[in-house]
Amino acid sequence: MNLEQQIKQAMQQVAELSDCTLVEPIEPNTLLLECGLDSLGYAMLVAQLEEDLGFDPFTELEIDIYPSTFTEFLAIYQQCANNQ
Amino acid sequence: MQSLEQQLNNLPKTGVMIYEGESCAVSELLKKAGEIRQQNPQLRQRDIAIGYTNLAEFVTALIAFDGWCSAIYLCPPKVPTPQKELIKWPLSADVVVDNSIRKPLDPISSDVLQTTWYMATSGTTGQPKWFAHSFSSLSISTKHSQKLQALCWALLYQPFRFAGLQVVLQALLSCADLVDAADYEPLALMARLKHHKVTAISATPSLWRQLLMTGQLAETNLKHITLGGEIADQSVLAKLSRLFPKAKLRHIYASTETGVGLVVSDGLAGFPAQWLGDSSLPVVLKVSDKQHLLVKPSFHVCHSLTAQTDKQGYVDTQDTVEIKDNRVLFMGRSTGTINVGGNKVHPEKVEQVLLQCPDINQAKVYAKKSALMGALVVADITIIDNDDQQQVKQQVLKICKNQLQRFEIPTKINVVNDIAHDPSGKINRKSNGKQQHD
Repeated sequence: MNLEQQIKQAMQQVAELSDCTLVEPIEPNTLLLECGLDSLGYAMLVAQLEEDLGFDPFTELEIDIYPSTFTEFLAIYQQCANNQ
Repeated sequence: MQSLEQQLNNLPKTGVMIYEGESCAVSELLKKAGEIRQQNPQLRQRDIAIGYTNLAEFVTALIAFDGWCSAIYLCPPKVPTPQKELIKWPLSADVVVDNSIRKPLDPISSDVLQTTWYMATSGTTGQPKWFAHSFSSLSISTKHSQKLQALCWALLYQPFRFAGLQVVLQALLSCADLVDAADYEPLALMARLKHHKVTAISATPSLWRQLLMTGQLAETNLKHITLGGEIADQSVLAKLSRLFPKAKLRHIYASTETGVGLVVSDGLAGFPAQWLGDSSLPVVLKVSDKQHLLVKPSFHVCHSLTAQTDKQGYVDTQDTVEIKDNRVLFMGRSTGTINVGGNKVHPEKVEQVLLQCPDINQAKVYAKKSALMGALVVADITIIDNDDQQQVKQQVLKICKNQLQRFEIPTKINVVNDIAHDPSGKINRKSNGKQQHD
């Protein structure tokens, strides 16, 4: 499973846990805040991905700009994965 | 001592309140407040519970009753009022005010009373705790100037909570405009902020991160940026400072219990260590042996804090601090209270709910650090039959969803072998090492 699939799977898990419905399909330019997860959902997603992947880019990287779209979110994880 | 109304009467009447698609000038609210008092003389010197309907009515009630009533209780919806005789405002049509319990009337009826303002904070058991304040203590840090008058504030907190009331009073007493923007989702909130050309915002660091995530914050022209309600970390302060280099950036440490608010405006997390022991500040600060922040305000604190007050008058805020590189940094609550994006969660309350699940032996709830929300709620549980882990987790989640607010529900439930207790039998809250089964 590649990183994108792992993130989408974790999003699904968090959505089920939080009684949220994800939008279908999530496109590269879909705004994160319109994916169906709220702010608590994203914090849960980051915590879940930390367990799955072993890192949390929001803590480890000095992120200049917060991600707005799915592509930007994925890029931050990709960058952190490359640094590991 | 002046009442809220008297202070407003001495200031320019330029402010406008914008709420629910309507707007109302502060001069109009002052007029309505006068009418309320005229029509309800029986409310003089009484204790009033102000319920929340909308921003304009709420502010009108504050103006009408401060200096006129003995006490006002700012009641959040669904929160039970204290067990005492209170008149509920707005009055319902069928209510008859019992005059037999009225306190003796002040002979000079135009005198301004020292009204006690009571505000609720969530207690450990889920029951609210009420803390007493006064208009003068609540407005100690509010200012008026030409510059401040030109601002347009957004109200992102509920106005009957401490942080929200601070924003309301700041906007009112600086004669600025105030837009009610509480309880909006980030994208809708962003649209509202842009539409009303908001220039001043006070929000939690978590909410600021969400606004940054919209990618649209730069489209506003923010001049005043305030962070409060949870610990402001250097990362969010730096991002906001980069985006709005000319804006006034402040983070506030406030304690609802003591009514104390500290304002830090140098753009760095925590506050300067030189502030400790500085008696020229409105609040004298000290760090205890247990690394708790102690405060000694210039005004009287609520009598319910006596147990937390030492002989010199310092109140233990129960906030743990660390001194590093000449800064006093906040580390969290010593009580174990978890701050999820500005919402308080009491671990004991969540543990009680978890233990309602018959398959759970023990439960321990604690915080997991989150770069986005400050902290998340996590639970360790021990269960009777380890073969049923998934089933128990689902069952307990169902119980939680029925009884807890969303931010209180554990975001992760770990099944562990054992939960450490200290010698007195209490859960050891200092160690959060999980020994997971799964």
